[in-house]
Amino acid sequence: MDIGLLGQYLANGMMLGTMYALVAVGFTLFFGVLDVIKFSHGDVLMLGSFTGFTAYLGVLAVGIVNPWLTLVAILVVSITTTAALGAVIARYLVLPLKSAPPLNILLITLMLGTALREAVRLFYPDGSNPKAFPALLPTASVDLGGFALRADSAILMAAGIAVIIGLNLLINRTRLGLAIRAVAQDEETAKIMGINYTMIVLLTFGIGSGAAAFAGIMNGLYYNEINFGMGLLLGLIGFSAAIIGGLGNIYGAILGGFLFAGLQTVGAVALPFASAYKDVFAFGVVIALMAWKPTGLIAERSSDRV
Amino acid sequence: MSSIKIENVFTAYDKADVLMDVSLNVEAGKITCLLGSNGAGKSTLIRSILGLTPPREGRISVDGKDITGAATHKVIAEGIACIPEGRRMFPKMTVTENLRLGAFQVSDEALIRQRMDHVFDTFPRLAERRDQLAGTMSGGEQAMVSIGRGLMGGPRILLIDEPSLGLSPLYVKENFKIIESIRDTGITVFLVEQNVRQTLAISDYGYVLSGGKLVAQGSAEDLKNDKEVYAAYFG
Repeated sequence: MDIGLLGQYLANGMMLGTMYALVAVGFTLFFGVLDVIKFSHGDVLMLGSFTGFTAYLGVLAVGIVNPWLTLVAILVVSITTTAALGAVIARYLVLPLKSAPPLNILLITLMLGTALREAVRLFYPDGSNPKAFPALLPTASVDLGGFALRADSAILMAAGIAVIIGLNLLINRTRLGLAIRAVAQDEETAKIMGINYTMIVLLTFGIGSGAAAFAGIMNGLYYNEINFGMGLLLGLIGFSAAIIGGLGNIYGAILGGFLFAGLQTVGAVALPFASAYKDVFAFGVVIALMAWKPTGLIAERSSDRV
Repeated sequence: MSSIKIENVFTAYDKADVLMDVSLNVEAGKITCLLGSNGAGKSTLIRSILGLTPPREGRISVDGKDITGAATHKVIAEGIACIPEGRRMFPKMTVTENLRLGAFQVSDEALIRQRMDHVFDTFPRLAERRDQLAGTMSGGEQAMVSIGRGLMGGPRILLIDEPSLGLSPLYVKENFKIIESIRDTGITVFLVEQNVRQTLAISDYGYVLSGGKLVAQGSAEDLKNDKEVYAAYFG
């Protein structure tokens, strides 16, 4: 294989890894603070993309053509709306069911995901068809020895990695992060420290959902297309990534995201029939990994979270 | 100096009353102890005050202000801190982070640093281990972190739940001495214990809880000499 194609695969894998990591971090944060798996996470991401797309249409309607301004508008509207939605889901669906069996929350969020997906399909104007997401980033490319790295890919990847680093700093270096980690490790003692538990749970769900929205926008900008079903696979992959990394561990989620993307890339490069079986291959390896290390690669005891 | 007044409190888990008509006063600037055997409802009273298990009936007030059933972070905002039973470290956090959490509601960074220095002065051992994960420390060291963490918020009232639990006699003695010195700095202490003799030795006033009801009370001196109470409840 020539070096150019290999570079292309590598860049693509990194991009996917960044997106997966952003989704996986949400799963791991939710599990950390509340011990729940929120299966609507992928569809919340999809809603983030559609909110961003709607913001784009709105910006277009008022006559703003500057792509950077448009991008800022898309990001601000999408992330804040989606973060708020995540907090609302936590407040009215997840927290009230906190003392119910975990299966109930799993089922309810699974149904919520379906409802969100169907709502977009049915009620968004022409929602059942894919939408052409605008290419807002410069597409000039740099030649790197036979492989052309496009500016938009580089910017997206840099921004995604910056967000991951930012999230990591938020969790490990700030007062809010300290509170999130405290709630994750021992909810009741966190309360005794004077932490407003409900507030921290809502903020955590907001942060995780905001990160998913960012991943959704990245996805739209990268593929220039979004559709109502996009959250299904992204959610499943993000969940798998969080699990392989060791649910509840933020580094594990990031590692899991990049690992899954790596597997897909290897699957696409090394297998016959190329990319058709890349997901089968990647999920197959995940199953094997789970059999080998049932608690994830970064093994956590049940009491050690985030 | 602050006080807690508990009036006719009933607290239930799943509709079964654990506390029945409990009324007591935690006097300002004193050590008030609550004695009783396992399952008497001592920890439930602490949980009731903190709003972790709100009473179904009755009234709890701090300096006259009603805090019955308030969210825990609001109770803490009234100047209350708690050293919980079993010390309850955040195991994956360093000593410094654990202490920092004790001052979660304090926003003045200089004050936090000053209090942390004070904790390190009191427990030089913690200063050496400030970056160690609390979960990897010995029980005695965790007890120090727990006490230090309880003081980080600059409380006016300190609730201490079974500080002697699981500690060697030497550490117990040390801890009780520290509790006395905390009282001497003007902090009101509500001490919940099973260890009768040592608790009464440092307390000013005491209550005895049995089966969810208060069965005896009096000055620590009186309780110490009350043969009947001893025989009936502490065998």
